[in-house]
Amino acid sequence: MNRVLTLASFNISMILAERMGLVLSWALFALQFGIFGSLMSHLVQSTKVQDYFFFYGVGLMVITVFDTGSFVGRRFVERAHEGELPYYLSLPISRRGFLESQAVYGVVATILRAGPPLIGVLAFTGRFTLPGAFFALLSLTTLGLGISGIMISFSFIAFKSIDIYNAIIAGLSALLVRFSTVFYPLIFIPSFYSPVAVFSPLTYGADLTRWVLGFDPHLLLNPILAAVVVTAIALGTLSLSAGIVDKIIEGVKAA
Amino acid sequence: MFAVETLSLSKKYGKTDALRELNFTVDEGEIMVILGPNGSGKTTLLMTLCTILKPTSGTAKVMGIDVVKDGTKVREVMGIAFQEARGFWRHKPSSILKFHASMFDIDPVKRQDLIEQTMKELELWESRDKLFMHLSGGQAKRLETAKVLVQRPKLAIFDEPTSQVDLRGKRKIWDKIRELRDQGSTIIVATNEVREAEYLADRVTILHKGTLVVRDSIPKLKDAIAGGDVVEVGFEDPVADKLVEDLKNLGGILTMSPEGNQLRANVSKAEDWVPRMTSASYNMGAKISTIKITEPSLDDVFLHFTGKSLEENP
Ligand SMILES: Nc1ncnc2c1ncn2[C@@H]1O[C@H](COP(=O)(O)OP(=O)(O)O)[C@@H](O)[C@H]1O
Ligand SMILES: [Mg+2]
Repeated sequence: MNRVLTLASFNISMILAERMGLVLSWALFALQFGIFGSLMSHLVQSTKVQDYFFFYGVGLMVITVFDTGSFVGRRFVERAHEGELPYYLSLPISRRGFLESQAVYGVVATILRAGPPLIGVLAFTGRFTLPGAFFALLSLTTLGLGISGIMISFSFIAFKSIDIYNAIIAGLSALLVRFSTVFYPLIFIPSFYSPVAVFSPLTYGADLTRWVLGFDPHLLLNPILAAVVVTAIALGTLSLSAGIVDKIIEGVKAA
Repeated sequence: MFAVETLSLSKKYGKTDALRELNFTVDEGEIMVILGPNGSGKTTLLMTLCTILKPTSGTAKVMGIDVVKDGTKVREVMGIAFQEARGFWRHKPSSILKFHASMFDIDPVKRQDLIEQTMKELELWESRDKLFMHLSGGQAKRLETAKVLVQRPKLAIFDEPTSQVDLRGKRKIWDKIRELRDQGSTIIVATNEVREAEYLADRVTILHKGTLVVRDSIPKLKDAIAGGDVVEVGFEDPVADKLVEDLKNLGGILTMSPEGNQLRANVSKAEDWVPRMTSASYNMGAKISTIKITEPSLDDVFLHFTGKSLEENP
């Protein structure tokens, strides 16, 4: 097998080793979707959003992808500090190949976490089509890559202190999720809030995924813009990560 | 061709000079031991050779391949057992070794046998299905060594391979490292333990504060400080500071044991020094229980060249 894939599957085997965690996360998703989704959709019924339940379901998926992406990114930074990264960097694989293997790992992690919920929501709301599911997953994994990339890009802070890094990432995560269109369409967001939402990558990921799934485009951002932003974030932060990998290593005290 | 060659290799971490203009070579097929106290730059050198760290200036080549320009090729021909075995978390030793072997294209047919044999020899077989995080420090260290033994690279690097390992385990690891050399690998071992160096080295490089102090075979290093004798004196009771002062005036370099009753003296001529030492002790009423004249150890070599003993560093 190709070394990039060998390395990726070594990392992926770790997710599969924690099968319980995976199943629990799906169950949690179903629970949230079932209870909050139906509650909220009753509350929002009177508005122009016809199918808030579905809108909410996609939002929840984006949150799942966000969690997975930031987990992958944070793991990466932790690996540098735990000494796992130096080991990977001593293997006979190019730096580029190494990043590719980590991207493959990120994509598979996202598909494992968000795939079954996606299919569940689509089936439950009677909107399942194969192309729809495929493109939604594509949009979600691209978003996931971008999120991982952002977490890794911020890791320069971790050179100084891993605690400060964790604190900043926690704060940033809260902001990115709150100020986005994950749960509310942009056009309904109060005017003081909407300019901020435009800075959250989640806004673009969520709206793109909804557009792909045939949601009313009037309530969404321009899909081309959304697709461009999501892709640009993924590519941009991943190439930034390439430079940062070496820097992290230098910052970790040799024993 | 040298297996390893560095030219004016320097590495700074911010203001810390970890390596200073190091010129260092290793011949093919030898075991080169890098001996130096903590902080002397051993790990930094090895991490640079395996392309994880980048030199601040100077160059390094492994098997003639430049570590900066051709990193991936360098990594094809070498393997490193890190000083700290960390981070595999929830993986099992057997799957870690299997992964490592497959990354280095070890023949899948022989791989399983090789892994099993190595794990048995390093007494890891019983723990093969434990999670990495449940291994003891010594087990994790042996697993680090096992990775390189299974890999059999052209250049094998071991960074303090037996720290945290008990004496029996140390012997096992040392024998396996020698066996690897006999199979044709070039080997670098970094250590701060004299005994490890004495047991393993074809040649020793003494590293001190990021510079190469001296490099030679052990007998030659010992000859280099000849004219020097080592005398070990045991006193019945801890001796007074005044006596230590008097003895220092007789010349030589003295080290006192922490208990204050074992003296180790590096002197130019034992036959001159011993009578003077005994009479000085007699005058002060200190009773001598043993006198032993020994050949210098690598510790003495280190002391001779750096003016410090290995233990009292940095
Ligand atoms: N990432 C780092 N940042 C700053 N200083 C470092 C770092 N890694 C090592 N050092 C310093 O570099 C010197 C050499 O360290 P090292 O190569 O680990 O020596 P050794 O392996 O011989 O103990 C020491 O002074 C150490 O404190
Ligand atoms: Mg070290």
